[in-house]
Amino acid sequence: MIRGDRIAITGVGETPFLRKGEEGVMKMMTRASLAAIADAGLTPKDIDGYISNKYAGHGSDEVAFAIGAGEKRFCATTDSVGGTATSGQALQLAQMAIEAGLARHVLVPYAIQSTKPGGVYGFHAREPQKAGIEMPVGFFGQPTYFATMANRYAHEYGMTEEEQASIPMTYRAWAVLTPGAQRRDPMDLEAYRQSPMISTPLRAADCCLTTDGGGAYVVSAIEEARDMPHPVVSVQGLGLGFNNWPQGVLFTQTPCTYDFPGEVSAKLAYAMAGCDPKDLDLAQIYDGFTISALVQTEMLGLCERGEGPRFYAAGHGMPGGRMPINTSGGHMSGGYVPGMNLLIEAVRQLRGQEGERQVPDAKLCAVAGLGGNNHSTTILARS
Amino acid sequence: MGIPIYPPKIEDPLFQGYYDGLEAGELRITADAGTGEWIWYPPEVIPGKPDAVLEWRPVSPEGSAYTFTTVIRSLLPGDHKAEVPFTVVMFEPDDAPGVRVPGLLVGAEGVEPRCGMRLRFQPVQAGDHKIAGFAPVGVMKE
Repeated sequence: MIRGDRIAITGVGETPFLRKGEEGVMKMMTRASLAAIADAGLTPKDIDGYISNKYAGHGSDEVAFAIGAGEKRFCATTDSVGGTATSGQALQLAQMAIEAGLARHVLVPYAIQSTKPGGVYGFHAREPQKAGIEMPVGFFGQPTYFATMANRYAHEYGMTEEEQASIPMTYRAWAVLTPGAQRRDPMDLEAYRQSPMISTPLRAADCCLTTDGGGAYVVSAIEEARDMPHPVVSVQGLGLGFNNWPQGVLFTQTPCTYDFPGEVSAKLAYAMAGCDPKDLDLAQIYDGFTISALVQTEMLGLCERGEGPRFYAAGHGMPGGRMPINTSGGHMSGGYVPGMNLLIEAVRQLRGQEGERQVPDAKLCAVAGLGGNNHSTTILARS
Repeated sequence: MGIPIYPPKIEDPLFQGYYDGLEAGELRITADAGTGEWIWYPPEVIPGKPDAVLEWRPVSPEGSAYTFTTVIRSLLPGDHKAEVPFTVVMFEPDDAPGVRVPGLLVGAEGVEPRCGMRLRFQPVQAGDHKIAGFAPVGVMKE
């Protein structure tokens, strides 16, 4: 059984998050990796393990070469999507490698070039069911898929426009306090309503950003971390949830289209960490869209099922609220490097490094990662 | 309301029966030929039964909307600005619980789309091909 408090995230780093950048994925991964290694007080020669991401398009050989690394002793690739891969499964693989004695310091790099030709929806267009059945009726692209979930959720639980708007407004309030966030302009309800409608009821403000950027982190054994530069941020809990619905049918044929396996991953993570939602000081929640962030907020147990709209509208996730959420602006206002920038923010909050937006005395943070048919919950703690 | 124009890419025969049905004015979906169980969308392999065969069968033209969205900005590859807005519904046929067929909401001027709205199949000409369309029939399903 995998146990908590055995590994720590000892270094984090990222590139600037840009609406359109000049650099490709490999260069951004290299820059982020070198920043994370330096943050850990290490050199590339110290890195002996790698967790690659199958959607990044570059494996550990390329990364190791690019950073000028030492001998590679372990490598693996995540077989999940989005935030699940970067903020969940990569940590699980890293822990397995470190506890087995196969690696000492494991690097997890990721970068995304959303502006690349083909765009972020290209992989959906290659699904036969989507090309054959859905695209001819105009049902295409994540905002459209998630819009249908939002309408169904509103039908079942109720959600006013003001309540829906309060979700991106919460994350934007944090982004205003975040120097590197892509969208720092304050957003009130009127500004939200000025955001262009994409697919009812989702406006552009309800969707994650388009980002060219990268991030990386270093994972080390907890004993090693105690001798490294920063306060120790350990992995206390880690849960992965999967269902077996392939991507081609995921957004239409599942019994409840927004029933991500988040309750499963949260239950596993809380059990491993020996805590429950009321123990958390803050949370980072994968906010591809308002509806998906809302549902995960409920799945993590931060509020009751069906009460997410009221939870956000009451300001509980805002600066000064009882459960700060997405404290660097999340993917909707901070930047969209799936899962990665959420995990980096969690680590820095637990170190106490976040200045104006620092959550006072933050000790325990949940990071939720969504990726199509899979979900991760990671509980990080300042040890 | 507009009509999206995006010809289906049928590179294998997996979906031919669906489009044959649309041309014939019939909504057809796939079922396990041996058991009659609806299997939708048509997968390459019926779960747990690599030797089983799919067949196309007509399904009830009446059903209800599981959900919907009105597309204001089409995200289909290419320029589709002239085709919006249009409303996509997830149609659940009355005799195939759990099956959902995406299609265009048609004949719905002045009708606000709703989850649970009653719909009837009505194929729509979209350029050179037909697509699934569904028109409101008035009574709401709770």
